[in-house]
Amino acid sequence: MDWMIREKVKQVKRGDQSAFADVVTFYQHKIYQHCYRMLGNRHEAEDIGQETFIRAYVNIHSFDDNRKFSTWLYRIATNLVIDRIRKRKPDYYLDAEIKGTDGLTMYSQLAADNRLPEEEVEGWELQDYITEKIAGLPPKYRSVIMLRYLEEFSLKEISEILDIPLGTVKTRIHRGREALRKKLRHV
Amino acid sequence: MDCSTEAIQLMHQYLDGDLVKQEEDKLRVHLEECEACQKHFHELKRTITLVQSTGQIAAPDDFADHVMKRLPAEKKSVKSMR
Repeated sequence: MDWMIREKVKQVKRGDQSAFADVVTFYQHKIYQHCYRMLGNRHEAEDIGQETFIRAYVNIHSFDDNRKFSTWLYRIATNLVIDRIRKRKPDYYLDAEIKGTDGLTMYSQLAADNRLPEEEVEGWELQDYITEKIAGLPPKYRSVIMLRYLEEFSLKEISEILDIPLGTVKTRIHRGREALRKKLRHV
Repeated sequence: MDCSTEAIQLMHQYLDGDLVKQEEDKLRVHLEECEACQKHFHELKRTITLVQSTGQIAAPDDFADHVMKRLPAEKKSVKSMR
């Protein structure tokens, strides 16, 4: 799939706006999910997710074709997310972090796709519980855990996306795993 | 081996694929004789599996359309470069 994206990006650089639609279609769910899990609500995820693609489009000429496009795109998304979190009022921020109830019904709907009816209820509850525990991690741990285990980037790629040294990525992933272990050990 | 620091550090390095053979052996030998660390290691690996088991979240149906509508118009000067 990498070559397809590479070609599309070249077309966009040549001024073909319609080629960008394919890029959006290909990455929309990943970027939306990343924003959603970082921000904890649908409205902001949609807003920041769309803004990510618009920034990517506007700045497409600064993308180096020799690099991985997804890393570049996630970097834009991550910067916008961090910016949004910083601008929040402290009370609102805490509220969104702990509760995150907005998403629970949606997770359940999505989980339903490939499950048998009798498995549904039990599966939903566990998934919602885990999702809530991930959402409760401090953002700096949550981002590395998500990028590593849900979006499957390498540690080196994560260091590029977040623009932090590899050693810092490792420290955060260690602490993130320990924090989650404590929250999930009784599941 | 000091369980609270060294062994746990080795576990995380293992999970990041950072252990050389010698260190891996050291960890394995320790896990065989230390039940607390065995449990800790198991919990860490299980945590990762649980995280990976959470469902994917889909963007709203009209997401891509909205992005495309919000893009700035194509620049003529760029177009003529084809």
